[in-house]
Amino acid sequence: MDFQMYNDAEKQQIQKIIEQKQMRDFLKFYTNLIERCFNDCINDFTSKALTSKEETCIGRCTDKFLKHNERVGQRFGELNQQLMQQQQQAQQSQPQQSSGRWF
Amino acid sequence: MSFYPFGGGSSGGGSSQQQAVNAQNVAMAENELEMITDTFYRIVDSCYKKCIPPKYIEGELNKGESVCIDRCVAKYFEVNTKVGEALQKRGQQAGVGGAVTGFGA
Repeated sequence: MDFQMYNDAEKQQIQKIIEQKQMRDFLKFYTNLIERCFNDCINDFTSKALTSKEETCIGRCTDKFLKHNERVGQRFGELNQQLMQQQQQAQQSQPQQSSGRWF
Repeated sequence: MSFYPFGGGSSGGGSSQQQAVNAQNVAMAENELEMITDTFYRIVDSCYKKCIPPKYIEGELNKGESVCIDRCVAKYFEVNTKVGEALQKRGQQAGVGGAVTGFGA
C-alpha cells in the first residue's frame, strides 16, 4: 500500500476503517482460537467438567497458537516489506503500463 | 498486528474537512486491506496445520516448529507471487475479462 497517494481526509477515513476491521478481526481471532483448542484438546465426554489433562492441553494450545501467530506476523511483515521494496525498485527502473502488484 | 504506519490523529483536523474524499480511493484501500489481512489469516491457518502437530507437549514453539513456520511463510509468499504472475500472463493472452470470467462463461 502506497500511503502517499491519499490526502489527509482519505487517510482519516482509511484509519477508521482499519480500526474497525482490527476490532472485528480480533473477535474472530478469539472465537477461532477457542474452537481450535476445543477441537484439538477435548475428546472426553464422560463428565461435564474439564479433566486436568484437558485443562493443561488448553493452556498449552493457547500459548502455542499465540506464539505461532506472533511468529507468522513477524515473518509476514519482513517479507511484505521486502516485496514492496522490490516492486518499488522495479517500478523506478522501468515505467510499466500495468502495476502487476500483489499488494 | 497493525501493518499501517498511520499516526494516531490526522495532521490539522480543520483542514482535512475541506479536502475532498475520493470514495474510490478509499474503497480501493479497503479492498487492499481486506486482501492483505485475509492472506495473513490464511497463512496462519495453513502453516499451523502444516507445522504444528496437535500434541501440545508444551506451550512453547520448539526449534523445528519455528523453522518450519519461517519456511512455510516464505514459501506461501513465493506461491502467491507465482500464481499472480501466471494469472497475469493468462490475462494478457486471453484479454482481461476472459481469463477470470472464462470458467463459467
